[in-house]
This record gives sequence, structure tokens and C-alpha cells, in this order.
Amino acid sequence: MKIPAIALNTFREAVRNKVFYLLLFFGVFFAFSSRFVSMLSVGDQQKVLMDVGLGSIHFFSVLVAIFTGINLVYKEIEKKTIYNILSKPITRLEFVLGKFAGLALTLLVALASMALLFFLFLFVTTGSFAPRCLIFFGLLYIELLIITSLSLVFSSFSTPILSSIFTVTLYLVGQVLWTFQEFKTRLHEPFSRYVATALYYLLPNLDKFNVKNEVVMDMPLPGGRLLAAAAYGIVYVAALLTLAVVIFRRRELK
Amino acid sequence: MQAKALALFVALTLTAGALQFHYDTRVEYFADRQAFVALPDGKTLKVLSFGYRNLVADFLFIWAIQFYSATHLTNRFDYIENIFNVITDLNPRFKAPYLVGSWIMGLEGGRYRMAIRLLEKGARNNPEEWIFEYDAGFYAYRDLKDLELAEKLFRQAAERPNAPPLIRRKWAHMVYMQDNLDYAFQLWKEIERSADDQLSRDSAFHHLYQIDFERDKQILKLAISEFRHRFGRNPAELDELRVRGILKEIPRDYQGRDYRYDPQSGTIQARRNYKWKSSY
Repeated sequence: MKIPAIALNTFREAVRNKVFYLLLFFGVFFAFSSRFVSMLSVGDQQKVLMDVGLGSIHFFSVLVAIFTGINLVYKEIEKKTIYNILSKPITRLEFVLGKFAGLALTLLVALASMALLFFLFLFVTTGSFAPRCLIFFGLLYIELLIITSLSLVFSSFSTPILSSIFTVTLYLVGQVLWTFQEFKTRLHEPFSRYVATALYYLLPNLDKFNVKNEVVMDMPLPGGRLLAAAAYGIVYVAALLTLAVVIFRRRELK
Repeated sequence: MQAKALALFVALTLTAGALQFHYDTRVEYFADRQAFVALPDGKTLKVLSFGYRNLVADFLFIWAIQFYSATHLTNRFDYIENIFNVITDLNPRFKAPYLVGSWIMGLEGGRYRMAIRLLEKGARNNPEEWIFEYDAGFYAYRDLKDLELAEKLFRQAAERPNAPPLIRRKWAHMVYMQDNLDYAFQLWKEIERSADDQLSRDSAFHHLYQIDFERDKQILKLAISEFRHRFGRNPAELDELRVRGILKEIPRDYQGRDYRYDPQSGTIQARRNYKWKSSY
């Protein structure tokens, strides 16, 4: 019962921090950009509209995941509220998992609201619904959980600025990790190849969750691929949370 | 205090607007008639777009439309192939850039070979679409007058799934235009057999009539020439060719009627006259 209580508290804190103002911004941005894009583009308006919608949802939700995530632990330490929490019969494991669950809930509500706005605008503008976008939202949510876990790991031992730099860097690397496969073939030294291979498997491969193109262009999305991506994401999140707990347990709170 | 700050804000905003207006009246934005566009190749931009390649392709496409609407830029066509290649490398299934890019290249820039290259790329990346090779075939036929290329492109378009009957007719017409009469006759016969609309049936009939006439005309011309060689005159009527043993039987038009023959000039005319070749 302790983890849900911390999670709910984290969710309330995110709401108090006006995270959901971003949704309002997204709504206005999408409404204006959809009109603008429709005016400027020639042909494939629905495709461009969906690209803008899904791209901005991706961008805004990643922003929420990074910048809310890095404050998770740091704020508690900075405001010394963590002493209050940990003085109660709450373990550090429960604290970290509770914080993660709270942010996961925040992201779920934010993503669901943006998805709802997206479907609404799409329907009003084009008269169609595009249910395949739900696949994109599902995988994006797993990607957001990875980013949150990453920021949780960094925020458990570093400052918010450094944590955000680390998380943003890993997010960007994760988006282009697919290039490592080609990069490896250009390396001549076996050691460099081993390092590149190790990095490829160690770093989060976020491109696996990017199915915007397949969804928008109505391209086939094999169930096996989706399940593999989801399983990869869940295992990766579990690994990162384990690491965050290990680091946080070793941290001395003064 | 609050009201004063607000008033100051409004005053500063209006001043900024006035300065902008003052600046605009002294600057000729379109003075520069040359543009310089440096875009990395599609593969590099795919990496640099960090998972937003669709969005980058969309924005580049929208920018390209505006760029190619700036007709005062005299060297804008120097970059067109690279720009549209980058867009279509980023999102190979995005169909509009192939079509719009080829319109700009061909219809505005007169670069039809380039337009065809872009459309062929579209066809390679979207094998279920017939529109790219159809458009390309049209440029080859109408603008390049390259019937062989047009035939190849229309044939490829006709073989794509869901290709409308019009494309098969275009292909058969290209075969006819290259004087490959037997093959053209065979294709139009197939079209006539499989036609389920009046337009296809009429089109097939007109072509079959004309092809049949052109084949018969060749036979009759040779026979009349042979007759003239033997008897020093033109036959008085076509049946004389049969009577004198030059032809076993006199060919008739596609509807089974006699051709019109002028004994003075020795020329043959069909009752229907289609001028597709002479007007091309």
C-alpha cells in the first residue's frame, strides 16, 4: 500500500506543478499548426496533419518525461521532505518505485489527453479516425517509461541540470542507435567493433518504438515486432529501475 | 504601477512595430535573385532528424513548395533534384513530393528527364502505386516525344495493381504509334475482349479499325506497285489485283466494308480516318 500512496502523491505534485498546462499548449499548437499546414501543403494533407500531430505529441510527452522525471528525487532531497518520508516505515525501494509509478500515471494521463485531442482534431479536419495511431501511442508510452527511468537513474545521484543533459543525450543517442549497426561495419579494429557492439546492446534503442511512419503510411506492422519492442521496453525499464534503486540505496542523505 | 507597466508594454510593442515598418520601406526583400541551398543528403538528415524524419520531410516539402513559388529566384532549379531526393529519402512512402516535385521539374522547369527520374524513384518505393509511371509516361510521350520510353513506362504502370483501364489503352496506343502494328493489334484485341465500359470498347474499336487499315494499306500498296510494274498502269479497281493473281483476296476494312480506291492516283482510303500519327 505504500507504493500506491507515494505514486498518488507524486501524481498530485505533478498536477500542482502545472504539467498539464502543456496539454493546453499542445491543443492550441496543434489546432493552429493543422490549419497552417493544410494551407501550405500540396496533396497528402491528412498525412502531413498526422505527422505534425504525432510528432508534436512525441516531442511534448518526451519533454514532460525528462523534465518531470529529473525533479523526482532531487526535489525531495532539496526540500528535505525525503527525511520525512524515509523516517516512516518506507524503504528506499518503495520510495523509488512509488515515484516512478506516480510519474508513469502522470504520463499516462497526459498522453491519453493529447491522444484524445489529436483524434478530435483529426476527425474535425479530415472526417477520419485513424485507429492505427493507438499502436503508436502504446509504444510511445513504453518509450516514455524508459526515459522516465533514465531520468530517475540520473536524478538519484546527480543535479537536475546534469541529469537533464544526460537524459536528453541518451534520448538523442537512443533515436539514432540504429546507425551503430552500419557504423560497426566501418570499424577496422576488433576492439572498437566490440565496444560499438556493447554500446549498441547497452544503450536504449528508442527507434524500436518509433512507428509513426508505419502508422501514418498504413504500412504493415507485424504483431511479433510490436510484442518484441514492448517486451524489450519493459525489461529495459525494469533494469533501469533496479539500477536506480541500487544507486539510491548507496546514497548518503545528509 | 501595474497599469503603468502595461501601458509601457503596449507602447514598446507599438514602437517595435513602427520600427519594423520603417525598416521594411527601405529594404527590397526580393533584390537578391540568386539563392543558395545547402542540404545534407537524405541519409545524413535521417540521422540528424532524431526520430522525427517524417516531420522533417513534411517541413522540407512545405518549404520546397514556397521556395519554388519564388519565381524571382532565377537559379532555383539548380537545387531541385537534390531537394526532392532528400525529401523522398527521408520518407520514401510520402507520395505528394514525387508528384509535385515532378510537376515543378517538368511543367515549370522543363526538366522532363529529371521529373521522370523522380517519378521512377516514387514507383520503386511505392510498388502498389501506378500513378508515378503513368505521369512519367505522359511526360515521355507528350514532352520528350520518346515513344519507346513512354511505352515502357505505361506498360509498367499498367502492370501495377488496381491500374485503371486507361493506362493499358495508353500503353497499346504507344505500341501503335511506334508502328508495331501486329503487337498493337494484339493488345487492342485484349482490351476489346476485357472491356467493361463503353469508352474502352469504343477506343479499342477505333484503334483496331485504324491498325487493320494500316496493315491492309501496306499489302495493297505493294500489290498496286507490282500491278503497275507488270501492266504499266494502276488497276481500274481493287478486284483486278485478285483477277490478275497478285492477291488471293482483297482485304476489307475492320467492319468488312470495301476500301475506297482512286484508280488515277492508285491510293487507298478508309471510310474512317484517324489522324493520331499525323497530328503528333
